[in-house]
Amino acid sequence: MPVQPWLLLGAALFALGVYGVLTRRNAIGVLVAIELMANAVNLNLAVFSRLHGNLHGQAFALFGLALTVAEVAVGLSIVILLHRSHRSVRVGAASELKG
Amino acid sequence: MVAFPPVFGMSAAVVGLATIVAPLAAFLLLGLLRPLRATGTPAAAVAIVAALVSTACAFALVFAGAPREAVADLTVPWLVSAGQTWATLGVYLDATSVPMLAVVTLVGLCVQVYSLGYLHDEPKESFGRYYAFHSLFLVAMLLLVVAKDLLQLFVGWELVGLASYLLIGFWWQKPSAARAAVKAFWLTKLADIGLGAAIVVLYVQTHALDWSPATVQALGPAGATLVAALLFVAVMGKSAQFPLHVWLPDAMEGPTPVSALLHAATMVAAGVYLLVRAWPIFDAAPDVRLAMAWIGAFTGLFASVVACAQTDIKKVLAYSTCAQLGYMVAAAGAGAIDAAYAHLIGHAAFKALLFLGAGCLIHAVHSNELADMGGLLRRLKFSGGAFIVGALALGLYPSKELVLAGVGHAGLQGPLVLLLAAAGLTAFYMTRSVLLALFGPASAHADHAHEAPASMLAPVLLLALLSVAGFALFDSVAPVLVAVRERPHSWLGHIAHGLALAGFAVGFALYGPRRRDALALPGVRAGLAFVRAAAVDRAFQAAYRMGLLAFSRSVAWVDRYLIDGVMNLSAFASQSGAERARRIQTGKTYDYLTAVVAGLLLLAVASVYAR
Amino acid sequence: MQGATLVQIAVAAPLVAFAVLVAMPGRLVGLVRWTSVVGAAVSLAAALGAAATYDRTAAGIQHVSSLPFVPSLGIALTFGVDGWSLPLLVLTGVILLAGVFASWDVKERPRDFFALLLLLSGGVQGVFASLDLFVFFLCYEIAVLPMYLLIAIWGTSKRVAKGGPLGFVWSRLDIGGKEYAAMKLTLMLLVGSALVLFAMVGLYVAAGSQSFDIRDLAKVPFERNLQLWAFVALWVGFGSLAGVFPFHTWSPDGHAAAPTAVSMLHAGVLMKLGAYGVIRIGMVLLPEGARELAWLVGVVATVNILWGALAAMAQTDLKYIIAYSSVSHMGVVMLGAATLTVNGWNGAVFQMVAHGLMTALFFALVGLVYGRAHSRDVPQMGGFGARMPGIAVCFTIAALSSLGLPGLAGFGAEFLVFLGAWQGGQPVWAVAGLVGAFLTAVYVLRAAKAIFWGPYGQAASASDPPGAPDPYPDLSDARGVEWFSLAVLVALLVALGVWPRLGLDLIDVGTADYLPAVAGRALEVLR
Repeated sequence: MPVQPWLLLGAALFALGVYGVLTRRNAIGVLVAIELMANAVNLNLAVFSRLHGNLHGQAFALFGLALTVAEVAVGLSIVILLHRSHRSVRVGAASELKG
Repeated sequence: MVAFPPVFGMSAAVVGLATIVAPLAAFLLLGLLRPLRATGTPAAAVAIVAALVSTACAFALVFAGAPREAVADLTVPWLVSAGQTWATLGVYLDATSVPMLAVVTLVGLCVQVYSLGYLHDEPKESFGRYYAFHSLFLVAMLLLVVAKDLLQLFVGWELVGLASYLLIGFWWQKPSAARAAVKAFWLTKLADIGLGAAIVVLYVQTHALDWSPATVQALGPAGATLVAALLFVAVMGKSAQFPLHVWLPDAMEGPTPVSALLHAATMVAAGVYLLVRAWPIFDAAPDVRLAMAWIGAFTGLFASVVACAQTDIKKVLAYSTCAQLGYMVAAAGAGAIDAAYAHLIGHAAFKALLFLGAGCLIHAVHSNELADMGGLLRRLKFSGGAFIVGALALGLYPSKELVLAGVGHAGLQGPLVLLLAAAGLTAFYMTRSVLLALFGPASAHADHAHEAPASMLAPVLLLALLSVAGFALFDSVAPVLVAVRERPHSWLGHIAHGLALAGFAVGFALYGPRRRDALALPGVRAGLAFVRAAAVDRAFQAAYRMGLLAFSRSVAWVDRYLIDGVMNLSAFASQSGAERARRIQTGKTYDYLTAVVAGLLLLAVASVYAR
Repeated sequence: MQGATLVQIAVAAPLVAFAVLVAMPGRLVGLVRWTSVVGAAVSLAAALGAAATYDRTAAGIQHVSSLPFVPSLGIALTFGVDGWSLPLLVLTGVILLAGVFASWDVKERPRDFFALLLLLSGGVQGVFASLDLFVFFLCYEIAVLPMYLLIAIWGTSKRVAKGGPLGFVWSRLDIGGKEYAAMKLTLMLLVGSALVLFAMVGLYVAAGSQSFDIRDLAKVPFERNLQLWAFVALWVGFGSLAGVFPFHTWSPDGHAAAPTAVSMLHAGVLMKLGAYGVIRIGMVLLPEGARELAWLVGVVATVNILWGALAAMAQTDLKYIIAYSSVSHMGVVMLGAATLTVNGWNGAVFQMVAHGLMTALFFALVGLVYGRAHSRDVPQMGGFGARMPGIAVCFTIAALSSLGLPGLAGFGAEFLVFLGAWQGGQPVWAVAGLVGAFLTAVYVLRAAKAIFWGPYGQAASASDPPGAPDPYPDLSDARGVEWFSLAVLVALLVALGVWPRLGLDLIDVGTADYLPAVAGRALEVLR
């Protein structure tokens, strides 16, 4: 099985994710973009699993999915708190760490 | 070394020490015990008793019948260096210091008794303070007189300056008195740089601080010239020689008895005493002595001219002191140190007399101005008479002839002419003062003038008596006291007498009873001289204000705005740098993420290229 | 009691008092004050005892005690005294005691104030008694750092007029403010400390990393280059605390902002730490560096004397006048050190003592005047002598000592230094020093005249209508315990002036111990 197209797809998804994280100002959008990046990694894991003919990669991908769910749960709760304190889900609203 | 014979059954040095300890005890009592000081007259009594003890001891030493070479020495090590003593403190009595001891204590005593009457209106507290300062003055001057080496002399010298500062500024609430006190201290302190440097040079060159022939030998001619020149700078300041004389007339701001003390036997006498004391050093420095002769003679004439223009009786006397000190300095310059010393002692008596007499006049009319006096002799027979005695002594005192003879003998024609002219002028301005103050029509103030109390008259009359005695017995007393050479009966003496008589005559012609409007005259005549006197003063003022103070302001400006400015600039630079740097910290998550991604990319690229 | 114990007590007493104060409730003000007095008095008594038991004929370092501290690095708490450190230990005790009495009425958090004051003094005593370079440095820092809090919390602020080509710095810095002054002082002194630390570690390593003991280090012949740079580092580093030009600018602002007792201790003792460090560490450990660079130290010291005096003359703020006078007088100390002669060194250490007493007296008086007049602006004063005669007398005595009047401590010290300068072949330094003494006479007597002489209230009422209210309603003479600090300082100034050998005999022993090795010549030649 040729891996090249799948890896390119993964890279494209990851780049899309990075682009989304950097440009989205809405916190939920940022979270979605992070999901995209995480899934790009999962895709790569699955592809290499297939290439090497064992299940390590796929198991790791499943583990990653579970982690992603937890991460989304934490991320969304932060977004809710952000909304409560700043009345906005825009990422730029929170700049308390400004020097 | 010949030992000094015992006095009062004690060693002479102990008696010499007692002359200092007595006023010192009075000073400490009055200075530390405020209740005692505040009692007024009892406080004065403490000081006067001390001065009396001091005077008695000093005169006992004079009449102890010691041979001229006799020496009494009682010193303790005062400063150490690498375990060895190099400066001492103590009492050193010899033929030079003992007569001065007597003069200082006697004039001090007279002035203290006199002040009882003169200052009786002072508040009690400040009366006590006055006597405390007087005692300090005596201590300082005696410490100077009995010094064995230049360092102790310097100690006394500076303390005399301090006591003068305190007494000139006795009425410290008067701005003019405050200014005069500080001015006197500054100018003498400026000149004292010379004395300090002289001591340092002397020690560095010879590892000794005295003026013995051996030390002078070790010093060498060049060293002696340097040390003598430096010492003379200090003498010029202390003994008010041109152009450092400007503090002296201002010093009249103190009470009149203080002026008497300052001008007769203490402050200004210290300079001439230094010349006498350290004479071997000056003797080895002919170049310096030539300068001394000229400066002294010029001061003599200059101050005499200025004295003719004064309308304040104390200022007349102040400038006359300046002039007489010029005589002494010129005599020393000519090598006639015995004449200088004789004139110093004689001058102490009659100048104290003149000031105390003038004090009686001032006391009677409550003014220093000659214009406010006039016709006072009728009401003030004793003090007026004493003042006349003083004026005559100032004009004709025999030691002046010694000075002139010495200067003439040294072949210094220029200074001689200046001094002769000064002798004529002296007679003139004293005649003027006497006529304006004591004769002629009575001024408004003079009507209710009354003779001074006994406490003031007694010292005045005693000094008058001493002046007369000194005058009459000069030829027999002076050689014993200061070992003067025989008085030369040369043509110089006749010329001096002739000039003095001419001065008396001119004065009488100008200010006699018939010329009642004569007071205005000096303003025209000697106005020029006055302007010159004031010009020296103004030069000093300008140097102080526009030179020193302006310079100090620019130093302070540089310090604050440039040197400290650079320090502040470093603080400013780090703060503004930090200000710039903190802008990177926007606090916005995506900015940080951008940076992280950029950094990762950079690392990736670098890792590729590094391979 | 053993001499070594006395030295330890002299160092430990203020630190113990500090610990007790920290544990004490702050509202017991009376107890706080008396604890401080006891701490200071015990330290002073122990120092006096150590001086009394010091054997002058045996000379050298005596009363030595040592406790291991960091044995692996050769660091030990080694204390001991010599002819130089004893007078300075006593001086610190005296000034601490006078300072405690002078700050009797501190209102704001007195417990913390006194605690910091004692901590600082413990550090000072530690520096003077320490024989271990590391402990020396440790104590040096303990002495310097509390100053930040003392000035920033209890200090006073003043506006300094903006100006000069660098006027833009005013936009960021509150120049003259107490926080500014505290920060400036701390930073400038810490930069100095960094240089000292640098040189110290350099010497330790070059000596074989075995021991920090000063006595051991003094035996090591360091190579020439190390001597030169280490000497410069120590001179500038310690010198910044001694007010060496041009690193003196913390002093006027710092002393002006500091509360009375802190100014007294800082100008009276802490500045001496700097000079002591330059001589005792810099010169004694690095003789070759000292010999080669003595000319530089001397030239800068001369600049210090004249610059400080001239800058003081132009000030109108009383505290600034005294602060600049400290800069000038510390120049005399450094000048004496640079002469490398017996008289110069004797004078330098004696001047440390004389100036310490004199400037402590000055700052105590300035504190009293300021506390009563609520102003430090000299041109606005005048005639205060009528209302505060005792303060006027004490001020005059301090002024006279500072201009070097015989009979007061300053004379012996300054005269010895100038003599030493000429002996060391530098007549120009000596004359400059004498001129500096004259300039001092000008500015101190000018200040004394402006404050105390003349008619009362003249300057203030010139613009006011007649019958205006008294501009200084609170003027009065010193009271109660305030007299104590004034009397002690005045008495010591007079005693040391009349009989300089009270201090000089000891100092002379110290000089004889160290000078020949540093100057590289026999003692007899250097007399």
